[in-house]
Amino acid sequence: MSDYKAIMIGGSAGSFQVVSHIIAALPANYPLPILMCLHRLKHIRSGFVEALSIKSKLPIIEPHDKEPLKPGRIYLAPANYHMYIELGNRFALSTEDVINHSRPSIDLSFFSASYNFKKKLVGIILSGANKDGAMGLKSVTDNGGLTIVQDPKECQVPTMTQASLNATKVDYVFSTKQIIDFLLKLA
Amino acid sequence: MVDNIGIVDTRNIISAIAEKFGIDMSDYASTILRRRLVHTINAYTCHSADDFIDKVKRGAIDVDDFLYEMAVETTEIFRDPSLWRELRDRYLPEVCRTPDCQIWMPGITTGDELYTLEIVLAESGLQNKAKVVAGCPSNKHIENIKDGGLYDPKKIEVSEANYTRYVGKSQFNSYYTMVDNHAKMKNELLANATIYQKDILKTEANKQYRMIIYRNTLLQFNIPLYEKVIRKLTESLAIGGYLIIGNMETLEYSETGKKMQVVNENEKIYKKRID
Repeated sequence: MSDYKAIMIGGSAGSFQVVSHIIAALPANYPLPILMCLHRLKHIRSGFVEALSIKSKLPIIEPHDKEPLKPGRIYLAPANYHMYIELGNRFALSTEDVINHSRPSIDLSFFSASYNFKKKLVGIILSGANKDGAMGLKSVTDNGGLTIVQDPKECQVPTMTQASLNATKVDYVFSTKQIIDFLLKLA
Repeated sequence: MVDNIGIVDTRNIISAIAEKFGIDMSDYASTILRRRLVHTINAYTCHSADDFIDKVKRGAIDVDDFLYEMAVETTEIFRDPSLWRELRDRYLPEVCRTPDCQIWMPGITTGDELYTLEIVLAESGLQNKAKVVAGCPSNKHIENIKDGGLYDPKKIEVSEANYTRYVGKSQFNSYYTMVDNHAKMKNELLANATIYQKDILKTEANKQYRMIIYRNTLLQFNIPLYEKVIRKLTESLAIGGYLIIGNMETLEYSETGKKMQVVNENEKIYKKRID
């Protein structure tokens, strides 16, 4: 078992399929919590968890504010809230202004998770048409965590991954399959 | 420009604020607190946390201005249209039937929620059946709200889309006028409203309200303060009255909150059954 405490994934346009593949590959006893901040329509509150749950063996949850974070679960940032991790491993949600046109903002989720988990966080940025997530991934690097970017050549929309590669030195540039292999080895 | 502050800086600012203004921020949720402090430091063009602390100590910062800058400003008019439909169709007609009905909104900043409630009441013909009492963190917020707020076109666009989903009786643009490319809400909507400035924990609680709308404000507190505020909310609510919080908030982590009955889980509408 690795020293990592959590995995955070950020994605936007073109990331749904990648996330679905990753989730489908994880076994029911996968021990690390997976925190996902994916851009989504602000006014549509339901349906996303259900769509992602179809192939998942792990429970997928949109956390309530102050909900304690537990291992072996996949958490999805709810519509129209920013999602933070507080010291003491509870979720905190926020209605602060949109960042990079987004609420939830990937940057803000990564900032708080890297502040909380420091070097024990794995940060992953997937396909997306926005630069949100790039500064967040940099904060993972700056706090000593491990960083992965989906190979821009494989991304449906490479803007977000390219912006991340420009913003920080990342540990790995991986295909979807390599991301899955890596996550399975962490368990 | 300050990008971030650490734990030590945060603690030092909290103690300077407590000493100078008598305001205790030590039980605020840490991420939002740090982000609002960074915003406020920059709003006063300070180049560091120490620079800001120095300004506070020298009396160069007005307390009302400080509370204005610290507040989380943003939401939308008619955020969560499905909640407002539910209140319109079921809960507001019920509470407005009680004599001297008062509805409390103790945590408003921009006035979005207040204007939303007033539009719902006006379209339902209930504005003269209920008094609305709204609490703001600063006097500057009150002035802005009474002045109709000043909404940029983007925010009005989002609010207009929300109103369309709410399926109101009117046109959303009949509720505001454009001034310098910004929308000012028509303040005659506030005819039945009283707006005051006071910390929620310092208000009187004697079961005077039939409904309390307090959405997305518990987010700003850590568990001990959240518990205290929920106690104040429930003590202020009449038996049979309703408390509405944000759709991703919950009373589940509060001992006091456990006594409240969930009547609508999706919209987080709670009913007070017992004391």
